[in-house]
Amino acid sequence: MKVERISGLKFHKKQDVAIVGAGMTTFKRRLNETGKELSYLAIKQALEEADMDLSDIEMVVMGSAPDTFDGLHMKGEYLLDGSGGSDRPYMRVFVGGGTGVFAPIAGYWHVASGLADICLVVCEEKMSSSYPHPQSAFKYIWDPILDRPLNPNLIWIFALEMNRYMHVHNIKHEDIALVSVKNKANALDHPCAQLAEKITVEDVLNSEPMALPVRRLDVSPPSDGAAALIMVAPHIARQVTDNPVWVTGVGWALDTTMWTNRDLYFPRYVAEAAKMAYRMAHVTDPRKEIDVAEPYDPFDYKELHHMEGLGLAKKGEAPILTKEGVTARDGDLPCSPSGGLLGVGNPIAATMGVKACELYWQLAYRAGKRQVAKEVTTGVCQAWGDLMQVGTVMVMSNKR
Amino acid sequence: MFNEKIVNPNELRHWEGRIELYWIYTSGEAGDRFFKALKDEEKFIAAKCKKCGKVYFPPRMYCEFDFSETEYVEVSGEGSVRAFTVARLDKDEKPLEKPEIYAIIDMDGTDGCMVHLLGEVEPEDVYIGMKVKPVLKERGEREGKITDILYFKPS
Amino acid sequence: MSVGKKDISCPPEAPGTPLKDSDIKEKKVTYVEDHPDMRYAWTAGQAISRFLNELKEGKLIATKCNKCRRILFPPRIFCELCYKPIDDWVYVQDTGTVQTFSISYIDPDARPLKEPIIVAVIAVDGASKNMAFMHVLGEVEPEDVYIGMRVKAVWKPEEEREGSVTDIKYWKPMEK
Repeated sequence: MKVERISGLKFHKKQDVAIVGAGMTTFKRRLNETGKELSYLAIKQALEEADMDLSDIEMVVMGSAPDTFDGLHMKGEYLLDGSGGSDRPYMRVFVGGGTGVFAPIAGYWHVASGLADICLVVCEEKMSSSYPHPQSAFKYIWDPILDRPLNPNLIWIFALEMNRYMHVHNIKHEDIALVSVKNKANALDHPCAQLAEKITVEDVLNSEPMALPVRRLDVSPPSDGAAALIMVAPHIARQVTDNPVWVTGVGWALDTTMWTNRDLYFPRYVAEAAKMAYRMAHVTDPRKEIDVAEPYDPFDYKELHHMEGLGLAKKGEAPILTKEGVTARDGDLPCSPSGGLLGVGNPIAATMGVKACELYWQLAYRAGKRQVAKEVTTGVCQAWGDLMQVGTVMVMSNKR
Repeated sequence: MFNEKIVNPNELRHWEGRIELYWIYTSGEAGDRFFKALKDEEKFIAAKCKKCGKVYFPPRMYCEFDFSETEYVEVSGEGSVRAFTVARLDKDEKPLEKPEIYAIIDMDGTDGCMVHLLGEVEPEDVYIGMKVKPVLKERGEREGKITDILYFKPS
Repeated sequence: MSVGKKDISCPPEAPGTPLKDSDIKEKKVTYVEDHPDMRYAWTAGQAISRFLNELKEGKLIATKCNKCRRILFPPRIFCELCYKPIDDWVYVQDTGTVQTFSISYIDPDARPLKEPIIVAVIAVDGASKNMAFMHVLGEVEPEDVYIGMRVKAVWKPEEEREGSVTDIKYWKPMEK
């Protein structure tokens, strides 16, 4: 039963929104700084790039995933003083892994509604505090009665989805492993990377089996880190720079927690969110109009899965595009030029640094060695989360 | 219409479980400096904002109001009682053997306060504004935590 | 100040102090360890209470929505698409088809297992299309599992059943 969810949506807004600054900390398995200090370091970098002071910021949005990792109840409130939230309106948003792109979407609401002209968006994650392993915190995402008695590990749900995807489209693991090879190599040019290295397809296929078909080199690691973005109204953007990057479309959608009742081979929650974002941005043919993409890649097959959900490839076509080099940095549709989560790290919410911030740096031509070869005008970034549930999408452009 | 609700409580089920995680919280950059100075050198460290001059205690790496850097300064560790309360029950509401006095202590030379126990004094003798100084654990027993200070006693 | 400049490399630096596992074990940095004791009792609710009671009897039950004509499994008291209460309870069979599967070598805390667990999403016969749920497979070698395999539930003996999804020990292939 298909439900056309976006037909009735209206996209009234008071003003356009631009991004003028971004910053991030290093992503590593364990960092000494507390969550507050990490947020401060990321925000300092963003403020320096935009040449602004904390006193210029009018409102703050903080994105942070489960309190369970940090072991601090009401994490958003705890992180307030390190996030510049003292003395100004402050809110926390959380949609699981989708927070990396959902926090900038919430920042977009603040400015587009006209309630603020300058909004700071910050995301922080400290997964290393939880013992015996951050994976243990994921035990509690499962339904306590139907799923937990079987002692599941979160990797199971990825393995089940990967197997279904491979089966429906008849894809081999070797083709999926190419994504891991590409992203980890891309990450060698990222100063904050945790797992950047040159590997081969054989390394991936021979790595330790976790829950087949998923193996260790198919997975992104848990990390600590923080990232920040500054979103402003058009008249402020004009004062700060001649070339701001505009947010042209946003979309978000969630699917049911009864994940066993869905056919997992296609992420319809991403497709719904993308439809909303593309409609706002007036993008009718994503494959042709999008120049650079940052799909969420916590696992290598997820990048392909999401590329199809975002309409960048037809169903089953994404592995073919990867094999032909279309998604490499010098290809026609570069995907994850930053190195993504597989190469740089996966601090759940702070992945904003490799998704939204990276897209902004690419469109502003400030990505240094990671800059893609072709000329870029429009790009899309996306995040995913929970039990295969949330898709959050943002389309940016450097032309208004 | 569905109206077959279960009303017999013996037929309603529930599921029991525990959350089995534990956490290790690092003190962070500023916190690490504070606890190491306390543990190894018996010194108290605060942080002064380079821009507005506000002195933070416990110390922080950044000033929360103008986001500029801070520099670390040494303070005496003595202070005065700002407010206090006497606890006679523990956290599970069982009576304590001896009442415990918790106080918010204004630290001298800083704009910050600290919450800690008061010791070597009877509850009736505590008053707001009372001057106190810290009593630390023996050097070998210190762990780099806030409990390295046993309590504050009247000075 | 880099605003407005092109052809520079962002982020300009990567602040943060990485730590190794040994730094914590050897106490090179100060930290606090906390072991909470959190216990929960989750209510099963109307639908799953009935589901668990039926499992104890050795049966699988689902619910039916007359508007969209779906048979919903696991059962729930409202149809989430029509957003109305469901109309009836129906029993479904304890046979099904494997929709997807995985062979897991790790336990919930990411520690390695000696014997792999085969977990599968099984679409149950009698329920609507895609009404599946997660369970484990047994009496089959990992290499022989395939998508589309027909399986049947193997129940625990009556005295050992306690009203939980583990009252089904595992699902085994129907061919054998």
